[in-house]
Amino acid sequence: MNPLERRYLRLVRLCYPAGYRDERGTEIVGTYLALSSPQRRWPSPADVADLAAAGLRQHLRAGRATDIGAGLQLAAVLALATATALAAGWTMLELNPWRMAWLGFEQHGAAVSPGIAVWAAWLLPAAVQAMAPGRWTRLTIGLALTITVAVVPVAAALHQQRPPVFVLLAQVCLGLVALGLPGRPPRWQRLLPFTPAAVALLGAVVVARYGGDGYYGWPAGHVLPGAGAALLVLTLLVAVRLVARNDLRGGWALLALLGPIGVLCAHPLAAQLAVAWYGYGPNADTAMLTAAVTIVMVTVATAVLVALVVRRRLGTRAARSGS
Amino acid sequence: METPMREPTFLILAALAAQPLHGYGLIAEVARLSDGRVSLRPGTLYGALDRLLDAGVVTVEREEVVDSRLRRYYQLSERGADLLTSETERMRRNVEAATARLSTRARPGTPRLGGGLA
Repeated sequence: MNPLERRYLRLVRLCYPAGYRDERGTEIVGTYLALSSPQRRWPSPADVADLAAAGLRQHLRAGRATDIGAGLQLAAVLALATATALAAGWTMLELNPWRMAWLGFEQHGAAVSPGIAVWAAWLLPAAVQAMAPGRWTRLTIGLALTITVAVVPVAAALHQQRPPVFVLLAQVCLGLVALGLPGRPPRWQRLLPFTPAAVALLGAVVVARYGGDGYYGWPAGHVLPGAGAALLVLTLLVAVRLVARNDLRGGWALLALLGPIGVLCAHPLAAQLAVAWYGYGPNADTAMLTAAVTIVMVTVATAVLVALVVRRRLGTRAARSGS
Repeated sequence: METPMREPTFLILAALAAQPLHGYGLIAEVARLSDGRVSLRPGTLYGALDRLLDAGVVTVEREEVVDSRLRRYYQLSERGADLLTSETERMRRNVEAATARLSTRARPGTPRLGGGLA
């Protein structure tokens, strides 16, 4: 066996599940060797990438986790609707016609913060989704994500206030999940974000009219966790309904949305951590918010890994029993 | 099997239409059919073959051992031949429709038969 063959075999062992390796391993290596020039001693980077991608697809296929894609698309639809609703609400608070003092003062004569650009960017994907779903919607989501991240250094450079990081981070998490939108959604999915946006707008009018203190206080303690709870309940309802039809994509959608839901609830979690850590509060400072988000991300990552392993083992067992 | 069919899948079936082929032969034939545009790598090819085998579109014609490595020859099944035929017919109709419309398209500088300023 020459060194190139040994290296290809090593890659196949690394990338593919055991059963598939036994069945196809030497066949795949033989094909790579037939395509390689006699002087080649190492697999090319393209070959490595090809084996890694194909191996991952085979792992998912072996674990019967092929409904993951449909689950991610469902999660993306719900994430976009939530992100649009939040953007509509925050826009109303920024443009408060009752001139709610934004953090106690106006900035350079303007009554809005740079956050208005962020929320305008997040309203755009819903409009594009209604007219030109697919690639254009994903591009506008990417644009909104970029503006959301960029507002932090831009506001600092311009010495202006901006929406708090825990508000922006929740929007980023929802936006990342929303990138998985299907290319050709049915009409009701394309128009879905407008209903929660209208509801959020009405709620924001009430908050703006009858007092409130910007992003902090009531919105942080109630609006974001409320949005997270609503998203959780809605996803659970959809998942239960789909499971009744032996469709597991609702479960995968729930897993994909656990991250954004957790981040939406990060502020009250951070407040509780502050009480436990400092012995007083609740004041969710940066350290406690960071701890809360870290706890959320580790928990979600663990849940996803466990779900994938369980799904794969159940699939392997079913395959062995011939079902 | 989803339609319209993706180009690599169509080319794999077209390559197998004439005779059974092994992995390397399939990659070479797909490249030849596409004038070098579609270059399959083995990892991608065998993933596609697995899906086609599951769908009953392709079957294993025979196996042999070469230099201690397994080599399988794949062939188009009857179902695969029907699928390739219907997909080819669909594309042919689309090509005919586009060709007919392009032939009636006025070229720049072509004299108009009527209208326009005197």
